[in-house]
Amino acid sequence: MRIINGLAVFFCSTFILSSCTIYDKIFDNPIDFKANEERGIEAPTLVFYPKSQTKTQADSIIVGSFIVFKDDSTEPFSGLQLQIEFPNNLIELDTILPGLFLKDTSQSTPLFTYTYNEENLVDIYAYFLGTTKLDLDGTGHLADLIFNPLTDGTDSIYYNLNECILINHQDEEIDINGNRAAEIIIE
Amino acid sequence: MKRFLVYFTFFSNLLFAFDQEATYLVLNHFDEPLSDIDQSLIDNFNNASFNFDESVNLLFDDVDSDNNPASKYMDQIKELGNIHHVNYILLNKIKHIDDRIIMEGLLFNTRSGGLVHRRKINVKDYNNGSVNEISLWVGEIRNKIQKQWEEARESIMFLNPEEISYDKTPMGAALRSLAIPGWGQAYSGNPLSAGIWAALELSLSLAFISSYTNYDTSSKSYLQNLKLYDATDDEKEVSAYRASAEKDWDDHVMYSKLAIALAGSTITGWVSNSVHAWVFGPRPYTNIYQKGLPQTAVPKG
Repeated sequence: MRIINGLAVFFCSTFILSSCTIYDKIFDNPIDFKANEERGIEAPTLVFYPKSQTKTQADSIIVGSFIVFKDDSTEPFSGLQLQIEFPNNLIELDTILPGLFLKDTSQSTPLFTYTYNEENLVDIYAYFLGTTKLDLDGTGHLADLIFNPLTDGTDSIYYNLNECILINHQDEEIDINGNRAAEIIIE
Repeated sequence: MKRFLVYFTFFSNLLFAFDQEATYLVLNHFDEPLSDIDQSLIDNFNNASFNFDESVNLLFDDVDSDNNPASKYMDQIKELGNIHHVNYILLNKIKHIDDRIIMEGLLFNTRSGGLVHRRKINVKDYNNGSVNEISLWVGEIRNKIQKQWEEARESIMFLNPEEISYDKTPMGAALRSLAIPGWGQAYSGNPLSAGIWAALELSLSLAFISSYTNYDTSSKSYLQNLKLYDATDDEKEVSAYRASAEKDWDDHVMYSKLAIALAGSTITGWVSNSVHAWVFGPRPYTNIYQKGLPQTAVPKG
C-alpha cells in the first residue's frame, strides 16, 4: 500500500512537472522586421514569403517578394529594380505578377516589367503610378514569382543585393540594408 | 544505658499506642451490595479498629459543589466522632457505570472535623474490583498496601500487549491523510486540524489547477497565434499576431513557474499532512487510571 501511494505521488509529480513545457519563443516571419532584426538583418530588407515551402512535382510554387521597413524608419519609395536568382536545375520560371503594394488606390496595374535571361536570373522593374500620392512607404508586397518544379531537391531563391535598387520619386536611391532568401523543397 | 532503655520503651509504647488508637467509622454507600467488605477490612487491617454504620446518610452529598469541601461537614464529623468514639470517619462511595467503577473515598478527622484525605478513581471494572479498590484505598491511608491488591488491579491491563490489535493506528491516519488531506486527522479525532489541513490543501490544489489551466490556455493560444503569425504575409496581422503570441508566451512561462511552485507546495503540504497525521495519530493511552483530587476539592489555605 505504501509503495503504491509512493509511486502515485511520484508519477503525479513527474506528470505535473513535465507537462509544464516551456515552448521556444521563435518568431521568424520574413515580413516581421523584428524577426529580421533578431537575426541581424537590418531594414529596409528584401525578403521572400514564405521563407520555406515544400511542394510536389505537380504543384506550382508561388514565392512572394516583399520589402520590409521598420515601423519608425520607413522611407517613401516610388521605383525599384530587383534581381532574383533561382535554381534553374530545380525549378523553371512560369509567371511574374506585380504585388498588391504597387497597385494604386484604384487597383490599376502599375508600371511593371521584368527581364529573364532564360537561365536563372530575373530582373524586375517597377514604378508606382499613384493618382493621389507620389510614393509608397512601409512594408509591402512587390511581386509574385510563380515557378514550376523540374525535379526533386532542395535549393534557395535569393536576391542579388548588388543589383537591387530602390528609389524615391526624385530618383534618389534608398539604401537596402539586408535581404533574406527562401528555401524551396520539391518532393 | 538505662536512660536509653527508658526512652526506647517510652517511644515504642507511644507509637504502638497511637497505632492502636486509629479507629475508624466506616460509612459505605454502594450502588450494588458488596458482601464481606466489612470483614475484609477487619481482616486486612488488624491493627486498626473499624466500626460500621449503614444508617448515616448525611455525608453523601457531592462535596465538589461546595466552595470549601474540606470543612463542609466539620460539626457533623466531630459529633459522629464523639458518638462512635473514633479518630476518623472513612466514607466510601462506589458507583458502577457501564463497565467502570467510579469510586470516591473521603477520610475525615473527627478531632478537627476536616477532610484530611480524598481519593477519586474511575477505573475499568475487574474481578472483585470494588473490594480490591477499597482495600487499596484503605491501604494507602494505613500505608499498608499488599502486593496482591496491586497485581489484581494490573489484571485490567493486557497481559500480552504485543497481541493487542488497535482499531486506530498512526499509520492508518497517515495513509488516510495521504489519500485525502485531513482525513487522517479526522480519523484521529482532531476535527480542527483536519479542517485546517483540508482547507490548506484544497486552496493549494485549486490554485495549482487554476495556474495549470491558465498555463494550458496560454500555451495553446501561443501556438495558435504563432501559427497565424507564420501563415500571414500581411504586415499588420504579423505585428498583431506577434504581439498576442509574445503576451501568451510570457503568460505561459509565468503560469508554468507558478503551477510548478504550487504543485511543489501542494505535494509538500500533502506529504507533511500525512506525516503530521502519523506524528499526532491515535496511540493507546498509557495511564489507564488516574487518581487525584479535582481542582475544586483541594482544601484552600
